[in-house]
Order: sequence, then structure tokens, then C-alpha cells
Amino acid sequence: MSTEKILTKESSPIIKEKIKLRKRDLIFHWMLGYSSETCYNYERLQALGATVAMVPIIKRLYKSKEDISSALKRYLVFFNTEPSFIGPIIPGITASMEEQRANGAEISSEDINSLRTGLMGPMAGIGDTVCQGITYPILAGIACSLALAGNIAGPIIFEVGFKLIMILTGYSMYMLGYKKGKSAIIDILKSGTLARITEAFGIIGLFVVGGMAAQRVSVVVPLVYHIGKVALNIQHVLDSLLPGLIPLLITVGAWQLLNKKVKPIYVIILMFVVGISCSYLGILGIPVTK
Amino acid sequence: MLISAILVCLIATFSTAWFSHLVTRTWLYPIWSGFLVALAMGDPIRGMQAAAYINLAYLGWITAGGTMPGNLMIAGVFGTALTLVSGADPKLAVTFAVPFSMLGILSWQIYMTVNSIWVHKADKYAEEGNIKGVVLMNFVPSTILSFIINGIPAFLMVYYGGTFMKNLLNSIPVSLVNALLVVGALMPALGIAMLLQFLGKKKIIPFFFLGFFASVYLKLDVMALAVFGGLIALIMFYNDSKNSNTAKEGEA
Repeated sequence: MSTEKILTKESSPIIKEKIKLRKRDLIFHWMLGYSSETCYNYERLQALGATVAMVPIIKRLYKSKEDISSALKRYLVFFNTEPSFIGPIIPGITASMEEQRANGAEISSEDINSLRTGLMGPMAGIGDTVCQGITYPILAGIACSLALAGNIAGPIIFEVGFKLIMILTGYSMYMLGYKKGKSAIIDILKSGTLARITEAFGIIGLFVVGGMAAQRVSVVVPLVYHIGKVALNIQHVLDSLLPGLIPLLITVGAWQLLNKKVKPIYVIILMFVVGISCSYLGILGIPVTK
Repeated sequence: MLISAILVCLIATFSTAWFSHLVTRTWLYPIWSGFLVALAMGDPIRGMQAAAYINLAYLGWITAGGTMPGNLMIAGVFGTALTLVSGADPKLAVTFAVPFSMLGILSWQIYMTVNSIWVHKADKYAEEGNIKGVVLMNFVPSTILSFIINGIPAFLMVYYGGTFMKNLLNSIPVSLVNALLVVGALMPALGIAMLLQFLGKKKIIPFFFLGFFASVYLKLDVMALAVFGGLIALIMFYNDSKNSNTAKEGEA
């Protein structure tokens, strides 16, 4: 950055004044990024939303109809990432590249789009892990427990907590992208740090949903055999063998089906068939206490 | 009832037409969209419990790349609203929600397919350098579409569906209700399995089982799991960085 400043100072008599993005352009760009999925569609997914988010940047940097038109068209291409938590780093980087381009740097549409396309996959990977793999299940788990107990704080904690984490991470990722440009993120990608961060977040997610499998897959085996005068309660036997065995088997079973590329909707149908038939046969029931 | 129906219609519309995730990101999830429905219908406590029962079935639900193996928004909004208009036990909410969420796959596919048209219109406006036209295409048509395919059915259900649903509910035998409750108790396994598939690289799968048995034997609740999970992840991350650093030094 410093060398760039010196260069422009030296050459300032020749080149006209640099166009700088203002703070409010960046903030609008970041905020409009949350409308990426307003016109979500199979053909180009978040393309239109990402284009609309660019409007404050385009308006600041380009004045002629041709420039505006070509800038709009540049973003109307297939684009899809996690747009709320980690993904905002991509528009951040885009804004900095667009600013350099408007000031005469040799950056083509292809340069910008190959960077965006290259980053959207990895950023969706880590973004979905943070958002749907950690934030959502943890907050929803807490919120549901409170809500079931009749405590109205449940949904409110979910709403406030989720938005707070989303806005804080989204804003800082956007600003990081803008300030560091494409260099920082490429370093992170190369050194394998990103994979390690994703993995660390994955550990939190797995640990928490592991516990949720035990707490929330709440079926029991209500079978009772009478051997003479002794009643043999199957669930008690199972509990002394390995508590939570049935929920664990069901969860791992569903996971194996998904691994075998069975569509989730068929797993749901299977659950209806198995659940209803096992309930009528008396093999599965729900715990009485809960 | 008319005001409730109008409000639920709006909630249904915007739980799919996400005008800005600063507002609507959480409307995806039954615990919040269902709670909004509960407020709109003037029964916050029972509605909230219905929403929670529905949401539990979708813990760990992953939607990526516009694919949705069951419409979460429909499940939350319609499931909660149906429970309240029929006066059913909130426990039954999930069994209303799941069939609707499967029907909702169709409405989601219609939404995602038809929306492609607006992008082509936006292409034309972009060619002309017409910023306003492009912005308009992003916000307006998709909202109208969602109003038609989600909002109007929600309105009709709340406004006219009460007696029909009450009769239907009364005609369901107790044994079937119990069976449906078992299905509801099985459902969280699917969401968790989806998350396992998404996160589960072989190396870190043991942490799932660690969490499972930490809950079974040590009775840790969700917050405790999150704290310990975070610490374990941190330890693993630093150990990993150290290993890779020493490996690099070794190479050099």
C-alpha cells in the first residue's frame, strides 16, 4: 500500500485524481450482500443478488453508460457461496479489485471472476460449517430446550445470538477482504491454514451434534417380556448394555444411507414407514417421562 | 382472525423471498419463523412449543447450493399455523410439518426455476446500463412469486382451515397419533446424519462419538458441549499447526 501511495504522488501531475471508495460505499456493499439470495434461482443462483450488491461500488467508480453496463454484466454470471458469515470476504476483495481497475490497473473482468469463482467453493465450505454446522445447531438446541419448557427467551436468544454472530463475522470478513485484497486469502489457501480452520470448526460441530443425537433422537423400546413372575424390560437391558444404543444405531444408520447416496427425502419416507410400523408392533415408542 | 391470516401470509412470503438476510436469515428456521407465526396468531407459548418440536426434527439440516431436501420454511410456518388452528397438542406439530415440508419441495423448485426468468430480464437492463431495472428485478418479482405460491396458501389455511383441520384431527385414532410421535422422535437422526455427512471427514469423525457419549454418560447439555467442543477444537488446531510447522522446518 505504501509504495503505491508514493508512486501516485510522483505521477500525480499526469494522472487525474484517484477515485476512492468511501466507507459508506463499502458498508452499503456489505449490507446489500445480504440480499444475494433474494432472487435465488437454479440457473445462476446468487448472480443477480451479487450484482445488485455491487451497485454502490459501480455508482462510485464508473460514470459512463458503457462502463456501468460492462460492470453490471461482469457480475451477472453464475455465483454461489455462503453469503452471510464467511462469504462476505469475496465481495470485500472484489471491491478492492474493482477500485484498482477503475484507477487504471490492469485487471480484466476475467481476473475478477476467476478469483470470485475460485474462492466461492472454499468460502462456502468454511461458511456453511460455521453457519449451518455450528451456529445453527448450537443456538437452535438451546432455544428449543428453553421453548419446550415454556420460556419465551428461547426463540429470542436464537434470533439475537444468530444475527449478532452473523453480522460480526460478516462485517469483519468483508473488511478483511477489502483491506488485504486478494493477496491475504491466497496465502491462507496455499498454506493449508484454511483446511485446518475448517477442520477445527468441524470438530466443534461434530462434538455438539453427537450430544444432540443422544438427547434428541428420543425413542425407546417399550417391550416387556414376562418370564414367570419376572418382568424383563428390554429398554433397561439395553441401558445397562450401552445407554443410547438405539438412538446411536438410528443416527449412524441414516448417515450410512446418505453416504450410499440415498436422497434425504427417501430417508424421511423410510422413517415414516419404520416409525409407524414399529410403533404399531410395539417395538418403538417415545419415553414416557419427557 | 383476518389480521392473523394476513400476518401469517406475510411471514410465509418472506420466509422464502429473502429480501435481506439481515432480517430473513433466521426466518429459514422453524424456531424463529414458527415463533413469529405464534405471535401473529396470538398464542405465543403453545405456538413456540410447536415451533420447537418442529425445529428439533431439523437439527443439523444442511442446505447448500439451493438444494433443499424438505422445505424448512414451509415446515416452520405451515406446521406451527396448522397446530394452532387445529388446536392440536404442540407435540404433534412435527407430524403436520413434515408432510407439508415434502410438498414444499415442489414449491421451492417452482420458485427456484421461475426466478431464472428475472435474471434474464436483468441481463437486458444490464445491457442498457439501467441500474434501477437490475435492482427491481432482484427484489420485486421473486417476492410476488413467493406471495403467490407460499403466502396465499398460508392465508387460506389460517382463515378457512380451522374447522376442517379440527375435524381431521378428531378423526385420527390415538394409535396413529402415537405412531406419528415415534416418527417425530426419529426425525432428528436425519438432520444429524446430514451434518455428519457434511462435516465428517474420517479424521474427525471420532469427535461425533465423543460428543455422543459425553452427553450419555456425563449428561452435558448443549452449552457445555459447545464449550468443551470449542476447547478441543482449539487444542487440535494448535497441535496441528505445530506439527505442520515442525514438518516444514524438517524439510528446510
